[in-house]
Amino acid sequence: MLVSKEWLKTFIDVDADTKTLAEKITRGGIEVDDIIDYTDSIKSLVVGYVESVQKHPEADKLSVCQVNVGEHTQQIICGAPNVRQDSYVVVVLPGGRLPGGVKIKKAKLRGEESHGMICSLDELGIHSDYVPQEFSDGIFIFQNEQIPGDDALEALLLDDQVLEFDLTPNRKDALSMIGAAYEVRALFGGEVNEPEVKIDRKADGSITPVTVSNEDLEASPFYAAQSVENVTIGPSPYWMQIRLIKSGIRPINNVVDISNYVLLEYGQPLHMFDRDKIGSDTITTRYARDGEVMTTLDEKERKLQPTDIVVTNGTEPIALAGVMGGNFSEVSDATTNVIIESAVFNKVSVRKTSNRLNVRSEASSRFEKGVSHVFVLKALNRAAYLLQEYAGGTVVGDVISDGALDLEDSEIVISTEFINNRLGMDLSDEDVKESLNRLGLGVTDEGETLKIAIPSRRDDLTIKEDIIEEVARIYGYDNLKSTLPEYSKITPGRLTDSQKKTRVIRRQLNAIGFNETINYALTSDKESRQFTHRTQALGLLMPMSEERKVLRNSLVPHLLKNVTYNLNRQQKNVVLYEIGRVFEFIDAQSQPNEIDMLAGVMTGVVGQTEWLGNGTPADFYYAKGVVESVFDKLGLTEHVTYKQEELYDELHPGRTAAIYLDENFIGYIGEVHPKYAQDHDLNRTVVFEITLRDVLNIQTRTIAYEILPKYPSITRDIALVVDVEVTAHTLDEIIRKSAKKYLVDVFVFDVYEGEHVEAGKKSVAIRLKYLNREETLTDEQVEAVHTPILAALEENGALLRS
Amino acid sequence: MDTSKVTEIKTSFTEQITDVADEKQLNDVRVTFLGKKGHVNGLMKEMKNLSPEDKPVWGNEVNALRNYILETIESIGTKLNEEKLNRQLAEETLDVTLPGRTVSVGSPHPLSRIVEEIEDFFIGLGYEVAEGYEVETDYYNFELLNLPKSHPARDMQDSFYINDELLLRTHTSPVQARVMKSKDGKGPVKIICPGKVYRRDSDDATHSHQFTQIEGLVVDKNVRMSDLKGTLESFAKEVFGDAHDIRLRPSYFPFTEPSVEVDISCFKCNGDGCNICKGSGWIEILGAGMVHPNVLEMCGFDSNEYSGFAFGMGPDRIAMLKYGIEDIRHFYTNDLRFISQFKQTEDGGHVDASL
Repeated sequence: MLVSKEWLKTFIDVDADTKTLAEKITRGGIEVDDIIDYTDSIKSLVVGYVESVQKHPEADKLSVCQVNVGEHTQQIICGAPNVRQDSYVVVVLPGGRLPGGVKIKKAKLRGEESHGMICSLDELGIHSDYVPQEFSDGIFIFQNEQIPGDDALEALLLDDQVLEFDLTPNRKDALSMIGAAYEVRALFGGEVNEPEVKIDRKADGSITPVTVSNEDLEASPFYAAQSVENVTIGPSPYWMQIRLIKSGIRPINNVVDISNYVLLEYGQPLHMFDRDKIGSDTITTRYARDGEVMTTLDEKERKLQPTDIVVTNGTEPIALAGVMGGNFSEVSDATTNVIIESAVFNKVSVRKTSNRLNVRSEASSRFEKGVSHVFVLKALNRAAYLLQEYAGGTVVGDVISDGALDLEDSEIVISTEFINNRLGMDLSDEDVKESLNRLGLGVTDEGETLKIAIPSRRDDLTIKEDIIEEVARIYGYDNLKSTLPEYSKITPGRLTDSQKKTRVIRRQLNAIGFNETINYALTSDKESRQFTHRTQALGLLMPMSEERKVLRNSLVPHLLKNVTYNLNRQQKNVVLYEIGRVFEFIDAQSQPNEIDMLAGVMTGVVGQTEWLGNGTPADFYYAKGVVESVFDKLGLTEHVTYKQEELYDELHPGRTAAIYLDENFIGYIGEVHPKYAQDHDLNRTVVFEITLRDVLNIQTRTIAYEILPKYPSITRDIALVVDVEVTAHTLDEIIRKSAKKYLVDVFVFDVYEGEHVEAGKKSVAIRLKYLNREETLTDEQVEAVHTPILAALEENGALLRS
Repeated sequence: MDTSKVTEIKTSFTEQITDVADEKQLNDVRVTFLGKKGHVNGLMKEMKNLSPEDKPVWGNEVNALRNYILETIESIGTKLNEEKLNRQLAEETLDVTLPGRTVSVGSPHPLSRIVEEIEDFFIGLGYEVAEGYEVETDYYNFELLNLPKSHPARDMQDSFYINDELLLRTHTSPVQARVMKSKDGKGPVKIICPGKVYRRDSDDATHSHQFTQIEGLVVDKNVRMSDLKGTLESFAKEVFGDAHDIRLRPSYFPFTEPSVEVDISCFKCNGDGCNICKGSGWIEILGAGMVHPNVLEMCGFDSNEYSGFAFGMGPDRIAMLKYGIEDIRHFYTNDLRFISQFKQTEDGGHVDASL
């Protein structure tokens, strides 16, 4: 909503400067997004009287004009085709300025002196979209006699600033000049003047009066029409045109302009029909029939639906209610008799229709928010009056209407105490009454409570809390104290165990060089089936692209895309992780299982020190070390086992470890399949993905402290030759199972294949650590435990090397 | 008794010892003179041929020689050791200006940083962190929040619907609704809800179909709007610095009444007006308000007995403003050159209060 200050002042006397006005309105809850200052960078603009116009001797398209600019007459060369003798125009004098950094100097044009310039509206900073047709190719010419030498900005009503209101959806009351005036009254005081209406109504005209009816009161609860005869189509008065222009509407002709002008005055959209083209003597509103077709005034054929409301001539639509007129009933240059429509239409229907047809207008945007009943007839009469005054029309007969307006004030009962309790303020009854009075709300003191009467122009106020807001915003939020809540019960602020552990994992991964990423949850069909055993993904009803169509099943595909992206930007070593959700499809109707996952990717070298030329390759074992460090940090090492498995097509079948937490599969570590890597411009890359939810669900409780051993431990090394397929885990299991006591640690410290070892075999060296916490172990005691272990290994096919 | 042999050996020792250059040579000299078959022992053996009165004299002479040799060898040994150590130190000198062995340090995501910082502030005020579903029902995402199906803000075009009843949540407010419903109408509720949210926008420099949100909710008996103001004021000082003020402007949200937008004095100019705040000195960072009675009632609270406030903010926007990030898509592209800029610690300007 664009609010001209000059126009606003005709509604309410406000003398604040524009900046203060804007600031206070903004703080009051209507954000003034911008101030358009029409005086900006304009200097030395006066009214000129063109005394004579002669052809330029040297140039066909130029005219040599003698222009009276007040104290004297001077020669100005003008290139506009519409310059004419005996007209009042706008002149910038030499030394003057126009928007866009234009400076005017005395000049010679093809040998003829020019003292200034005669201006077009464009040159004054008015967007060409809003310049009336009449002046679109030339200079502006005043409609009426002016005084040469006068300040032209004033004469143009452009000594003005326009405030651009950014209205929140609840403030439809301010979608009009009168609404803006009421808001200014609430903030600055004063009284609101309503526009003049003095209708000289004739009882009978030359044409049959129309009858009006609403088939469905839900579609149109109220419809009113006024007949105005014998109008003459022509330009509207300048003040009306310029106010429309400042409001962002292009003037067309007096009838159309009056309709728009009154819409801006009251926020009530009107429609003007050519009476003689309606095609009947009745106007009926109803919901459209399914499949009904009409052509709107933009000559587009519209297929209607039963949620659309149409205004009909009894048989066929003459307007799409609240949205757009029909093509055959609209006002044209030949129109002489007019029917003005002022109505209330179902706001949801209007919104649906304008959304579906993608037609948004000043009218539809007001209807869809709901119009104020109190202005429906006022606007109708005002428009009739303006047609009488500025289109030479005769207002014939009374307003014809069907349905009823709801003009009763609504009521809200509230107490000052309630307001104070909710706001944390100490307002008196008087403070509250004062604020509400300024808003134009009626207040009746009923002892303990206040009864507030809400006029229909503020039908957005429906509950007590709305009144609290009105009081607060008029009283000012700056006057609100700053306090902290006084709770009814003390409860500690804290993270849950899972949230804490998630933070620990983040810190841990950051500390060992992993960079955190956040990727999109939406992905393509194809990616939703990679690195997962799930074959289905939950999809969107209306995806915006193939790439963002379904919810992800794994974090890995996007992480690998991140790797490719970074490799393509000269990053050789890429180490990333993400903690995020995947969405397990249950069925198309149900919320999916949302599962928190942890995934990481690594490629290149970790800890590369260039001048030393070393670093650790980011390989399978590095990734495994990372995963182990996370489990170590979480105290889960004992619960976790790794098994070689062929999980997904995208992983190297020989280099993938499935991770089990106790007996449950919770994820994997693996090298990306060379084929996948090649297809995605990746080097050797390792990934891991773990179901974080399962990991976090295990409660590790507090740390179980163990007293430090007082006695030394004893180690024994074993060298074995086994089949290459035998895993370290298998050997570990055999050893641990056959150890009766004292064994506290087992680890492989060497693995060798090749020379001196038979083909298909490998040599494995294992260190066992024995400890008795009660006393020093003797060799005999160790042997008693160690010998059965060796035997068990041999039983399982291992060959002991001496 | 002829002591010239002692003198001879001493002279010989002095000659040999001056040529000693390393420990091995020193040891050779030691063996030559002090070894079992060395010169000093040789002299001692001659004792048996002496008269009883000469024996002690001879013994003294030889012992004096032995002590002299021992001391000399020891002091030269020490000197040699020192020299060796000095040589070692000289050889081991490094160019300490070469870079150290790389210990990689990863970066948290800038949004995680901001979210954690905000979480921690509110935890300090007694809040808990609540999380919820990213795929929500229409009921929790809209209806419970006073956005019935006919509400103009509910265009199917604006949200990622999965079917008529399911959609990707458009805000984290459904978490608040779920927590409230779980409380059986009893306060206090003090939660902060961070999470990913989704809107059906085309991605560009200022729009992202996925972004981050943090909302807060307090419901209890006698929660006042001044409590909201005080809470957000201390929040602004904690997260943006003590110099920052806030102001409330009336606004509109379907789920709060009264509703306010909260501005913070500009990060860059702190109120003087600059290009970041478009000259106003203020930057809008939050939407907030008193929980709408319809929302309280629908979530099981008696709106006459209970009241509450709620607020919501976008970590993406806060990060963009705070760091001058020009394109929201950077948060989701995961360019290492971007992420790694958010590795370092930052100072909030809070000076240590301990003595």
